[in-house]
Amino acid sequence: METLPEVPQQLEPLIRQIGPALYELGQGFREDMRVPARIVADSELLHQMVQDRSVPQLVNVTTLPGIQGFAIGMPDMHEGYGFPVGGVAGTALPDGVISPGGIGFDINCGVRLLATGLRHEDVKEVLPEVAHDLARSIPTGFGRHGRLSLAPEQMDRVLTEGVPYLVDVLGLGTPEDVDYLEARGCLDGADTAKVSVRAQERGHDQLGTLGGGNHFLEVQRVERVLDSEAASALGLFEGQLTVLIHTGSRGLGHQVCTDAVRTMDRALVREGIRLVDRQLAYAPLSSAEGQDYFAAMCAAANFAWANRQVLTHRVREVFRRWFGDRSAAWPRIVYDVAHNIAKLEPHGGQRLCVHRKGATRAFGPGHPELPAAYHQVGQPVFIPGSMGTASFVLVGKEAAEAISLSSACHGAGRRLSRAASKRQVVGSELRAALNRQGIAVECPSNAELAEEAPLAYKDVDRVVDVVEAAGIARKVARLVPLAVLKG
Amino acid sequence: MLSSDGGISTSGAGRRRSWSQLRISGTGLPELFEEAGYALAAADTEALLVDWLNELIARSDLTKRVYTDLVVDALQERSLRAHIRGVSPPVLKTAVKAATFHGLELHEHDDGFTATVVLDV
Repeated sequence: METLPEVPQQLEPLIRQIGPALYELGQGFREDMRVPARIVADSELLHQMVQDRSVPQLVNVTTLPGIQGFAIGMPDMHEGYGFPVGGVAGTALPDGVISPGGIGFDINCGVRLLATGLRHEDVKEVLPEVAHDLARSIPTGFGRHGRLSLAPEQMDRVLTEGVPYLVDVLGLGTPEDVDYLEARGCLDGADTAKVSVRAQERGHDQLGTLGGGNHFLEVQRVERVLDSEAASALGLFEGQLTVLIHTGSRGLGHQVCTDAVRTMDRALVREGIRLVDRQLAYAPLSSAEGQDYFAAMCAAANFAWANRQVLTHRVREVFRRWFGDRSAAWPRIVYDVAHNIAKLEPHGGQRLCVHRKGATRAFGPGHPELPAAYHQVGQPVFIPGSMGTASFVLVGKEAAEAISLSSACHGAGRRLSRAASKRQVVGSELRAALNRQGIAVECPSNAELAEEAPLAYKDVDRVVDVVEAAGIARKVARLVPLAVLKG
Repeated sequence: MLSSDGGISTSGAGRRRSWSQLRISGTGLPELFEEAGYALAAADTEALLVDWLNELIARSDLTKRVYTDLVVDALQERSLRAHIRGVSPPVLKTAVKAATFHGLELHEHDDGFTATVVLDV
């Protein structure tokens, strides 16, 4: 019987700085730690982190069988289920474990940036109407289904073939789109037989839907270019109109995670292994439970990329209606990053199962998985802020491999719970304030607007500064919102 | 409290009654319809509670209904039999992804159970 002890709450004095914007809680802190816990932060962000249970959760992650190097928390880290959100951990193949909690309920939740050749100045008069058209064209919130309802054989192909199927067979995009997606929009290893009927049922009419919570679509303007060479490679310029899409695998991914936690929890109970946090349930990747989950997770990841591809298609339809067929109006994919996923990657001479939960890859220049156009600059990393605040485009640096298993954060990170945010913010007032800032808001619910208020999030400029100071990635451009669509 | 929180806490007199009160949403909506029967088995009582809520969540997501009439017919330490009825509200607001083990508290006492469960929303 394995029992993991509780972690004391007074952690801050025990965490020592070991590098620029890098802190460590040593392996000796708790007997069951297999590796140290590292946190990318500055003193202010670290102080915010220790207010919730994210650091104890990161310590729990260090106990995973097969974990290599360290468990690492990103500067947007906050409390999650099992793993903290903003947590990264690599376990060595073949017998290191995979944990659904280290990926999250919304498998392959991620962010896609589209860039047009339009300048904001030239189209700003019609933008509120464009935003309204986007809101009519893209289902948001709970219980909304997409216009694309999949037959069983189509669902099967989406789950196994991902975006290339949508592009090649259904005509929802161009072959060039695929080049600018992480993993080219499809993970090998997906097996629909491992995705439960219930999960497939929950997803069958949700392709092309945004969902609720913190998912959003934002029309933005490139406010400032911070690295002209990298911006040029990514096709970004000041004043440019862009679109950021944030969503994932919807009900399908949620059910895949629920199914796997249940299966793995049962296996652990059967073997007499008791975890301090059952949401941290795991299985060796080489086991039947581990293999089944990995195959289902790959399928859910493919579904999520397909979801963002259908949304891209809808955005293009709207832009064509308003701005015609001219090439400048075409929303081109800059890149698409997953931030809730496990990937099999080589690091430090070993093949690892890298869990990124609320974290994106940040490969440096020259990495073979990068699109040819980005080889010289590194992988684009997108760090959205919140409504009314900026978002950032960065590019990964080679040094990120040693610091964070080539990972960066995925956003500003929550500072307040949704409930606390609703207590402090009046949704109607927030809507009016955003409108006064010139931001068109398309959200049917003031309550849900209040849950995602800017004050609920950490300071995105500070978070991005920390990522750069740590040597993980460098800033390329700062984007500001013009219109927000959310569920 | 958790950043993405959605917690429910309930207690009730009698073992079966308290589990019947663990529902996704409240009562007061018109026109109950559809009756679905469930039989669940789990590794232990905590897992059974999480599984029961996940059944309701998945069913709600699939049917776009809110289950307001839950009857637990039999409840053992690791198994449950129940049937449910629900309503179709004009608007469904907060999407619940799943019930979690996070912060799960389950206390059995003479009058039944007291439970706190965190939902991922």
